[in-house]
Amino acid sequence: MRVGTVWRLGVLTVGMLLLSGPLPAADGTGFPYHLVRRIALPAAGAVHALLFDPRTRTIYVAQGPRIEGYSLAGARLVLQRRLPGTVSALARTGTGQIVAAVRTPAQLVFLSPRTLAVTHRRTLDLAKPAALLYDRKAHLLFLESRAGATIVRLDPASGRSLGQVRVPGTPGEMAGNGRGTLYVTNAARDALEVIDARSMRRTGSIPLSRCRAPSGLAMDTIGRRLFVGCANDRALIVDADLGFTFVRLPIPGGPRLRAAFAFHPFGAHGWKGGVFFAGATAVAGIQMQAFIRYRNHGHLPLPARCSALTLVAPVGELWLALASSARARPVIWVLGASRSEAQ
Amino acid sequence: MNRCISGVRILAGVVLGVLIGLPPAQAALAPWSALAGKTVLFVTGGPRAPQPNDDARVARYLRQLGLRVRTVDARVSPSAAHGTALIVISSTANAHALGDKFAASPVPIFTWNTFDYPNLGMTGATLHRDFDVIDPVQHYADSFSVLYGFGANITSEISRAVGLRPQLFGTLYLEPQTAGWGDPGPGGTVITDFFGSRHYAGVFTYEREATLADGRTAPARRVGFYLGSDNFHLLTAVYGPPAQDPNLRRWAIGLKLFNAALRWALSPPPPEPTYDPRALDAALRQAARGKRVLYVERVNGGEGRRSDAHTVAHLRRLGFTVTVADQTAPQRIARGMDLIIISSTCSKWKLANKYIDVPVPLISLEGLLSDVLHFSGRDRYTDYGEHGELRESVDPPENYLNIVGAWSPMAAGLKPGLVKFTDHPGVLKWAWPLPDATVIATLPNEPREDAIFGYPKGARMAGGFIAPARRALLPLDNPSFDQMTPQGKALFDAVVLWALGR
Repeated sequence: MRVGTVWRLGVLTVGMLLLSGPLPAADGTGFPYHLVRRIALPAAGAVHALLFDPRTRTIYVAQGPRIEGYSLAGARLVLQRRLPGTVSALARTGTGQIVAAVRTPAQLVFLSPRTLAVTHRRTLDLAKPAALLYDRKAHLLFLESRAGATIVRLDPASGRSLGQVRVPGTPGEMAGNGRGTLYVTNAARDALEVIDARSMRRTGSIPLSRCRAPSGLAMDTIGRRLFVGCANDRALIVDADLGFTFVRLPIPGGPRLRAAFAFHPFGAHGWKGGVFFAGATAVAGIQMQAFIRYRNHGHLPLPARCSALTLVAPVGELWLALASSARARPVIWVLGASRSEAQ
Repeated sequence: MNRCISGVRILAGVVLGVLIGLPPAQAALAPWSALAGKTVLFVTGGPRAPQPNDDARVARYLRQLGLRVRTVDARVSPSAAHGTALIVISSTANAHALGDKFAASPVPIFTWNTFDYPNLGMTGATLHRDFDVIDPVQHYADSFSVLYGFGANITSEISRAVGLRPQLFGTLYLEPQTAGWGDPGPGGTVITDFFGSRHYAGVFTYEREATLADGRTAPARRVGFYLGSDNFHLLTAVYGPPAQDPNLRRWAIGLKLFNAALRWALSPPPPEPTYDPRALDAALRQAARGKRVLYVERVNGGEGRRSDAHTVAHLRRLGFTVTVADQTAPQRIARGMDLIIISSTCSKWKLANKYIDVPVPLISLEGLLSDVLHFSGRDRYTDYGEHGELRESVDPPENYLNIVGAWSPMAAGLKPGLVKFTDHPGVLKWAWPLPDATVIATLPNEPREDAIFGYPKGARMAGGFIAPARRALLPLDNPSFDQMTPQGKALFDAVVLWALGR
């Protein structure tokens, strides 16, 4: 076959593909992302945290005692730092500092985002810190110890403790509303615990009817809608102003879900908002059509359990850390937006 | 033998007196614990019901409340209701297929099948006028309006259970919704309404023996509810810390209303009163002991003087201590009284605004005082008026009343329908009270012209006025007391006895 003919056939094929409408999702369920890159991590050990920094355009991966920084462009490893113990959580404060929670010995480590140089540390009087949350609008930093069933509010600059509250049960992911209220899932009580962040006092709990062992939690960026992932393959959307569950949607994913929300996750012309739940078997998407209207938008089966996820909304990517066991070598899946959603 | 019968009557009278005097709290809804295990016949659209719908959710919820649920579709035989405690009809059931098969059922009905309201006699038959379903496709703007209900009645058992107030509340969660409304007949009780009008009732009830919109009598309790097919799960509720805000608690009451209305439908209705003038007389004598009545009249007036004298004599014969006061006497004379009766000989102009806010039960025998006493709105011939007044009314004289609230003790045990009130046609006044009033009788062929009604204490009256004590209208024009039939006198006594209750 002549080269010219091949070229013409190629143009024709591409043209037909473009005219045939949106590309089908990888698994045919309508999930709006597909796999664009795999990053195999060289060492074994669970990835406990993924964090995207829009200022440095870096994705930080916390695996064991290491923190690695990957450039958004090309997903190249650009930074690396070893800390004295397993890093269980990462957060980025309002000043741009990266904060790492080290499980044992329990401590908080502040790092420079561009070099990952340690700027200062603070020893924590807390058993096995497991999660960090920086509430960007309220400028509040929270640290959770699941082993101690305790949440501590910290000074975002120094790491000094400003108050703490016990959350009897099994606390999971946290979300803040930007107005001084902190929410945390409680798998033991099938409820959301509500904490006044200023007084660090538990003000009550929101029952989650027919939601077993909630673990994944995200909040929209205006602090009105809570997205809860339940172990019985269900996602609940709760009006935080009323504690009222107004949407229940089936989602696959299994127990110990992670959740993330973003407005316009595919850019200005994409979805109004999206929430993503990832667990042991799948990552599922829920589309926000309006503030009060949501729908399932498919799922993507996962080869291994997701231990961390982060949305990189500026480029329409979803990063997932997957590992079949704690001793297995994890892999990062970078999912890119399917064409129909990105346009 | 006669003495024995007399003893029974006195006992019946005492029981009647106790029943009438029951405060609302004692007439509360049955607790869920007492209702657990009861069987509900749930009529749905079956497998071919429009999708999505919340029928499965409702059935699950009813079971969570401890009820046994038997789900059937519209092809169900009416006999299927035998032995059940309640029929619940979803709007997914085909109303045309249902027809009137449950209309005569002695089992209470709780329905949100708006198109079935006429079949059950709960509203008239004309779509858009007597009932309607608002949905976001056909009525986009109104489908937002139905997110806001209004507490039309604040003293019914359902209203008290919910803590309903005369203010707006959130019916369903936020997005434009499908909801139904109905315009019940005079025997119905509007609990909540839409669009600022009681004609658009969101939740309404009929007590057993109440007169339905089609003139038939409710064989058991009936409840109409505003739900659509697929929004049970969006009935408003508030949980967690937001529930500590009393305003939010009073706003998000959709599910509470559903629960209270369901409980009301399942709860036993009050015993059916029987017409027994002697037992009524005995009850009234019992109640009159030590009670002081202020009788306000136009002292030494011409017309009606004999009637006033005979009314006072009747009250004294019953055992009341009666003080007669002129219409111009200052209001302070009402202090220490147990009941105020305002005669129709009083001049509305001279009476001025007296006795409106007195925390003493009050009966007005003059319907034209309805505006000043906040019984009704202020538009004469629309909110209140008269039949048979020369040069003042286009309506002919009348001497019959139509009993529509036979279940109430104020109806003296009279059966629903027409009753001869006075011997000869004459002037009869009427008013159109607010939904908090219990309507006992209307004028014949005038379902909006209510002759006898009563507001309980705490009721919302016209202009937002809250009744400081019981208030009742019994239209007895100047010479009428002596012309009352035995049934008319029984109604008079029953209203007096009711007014003395708490």
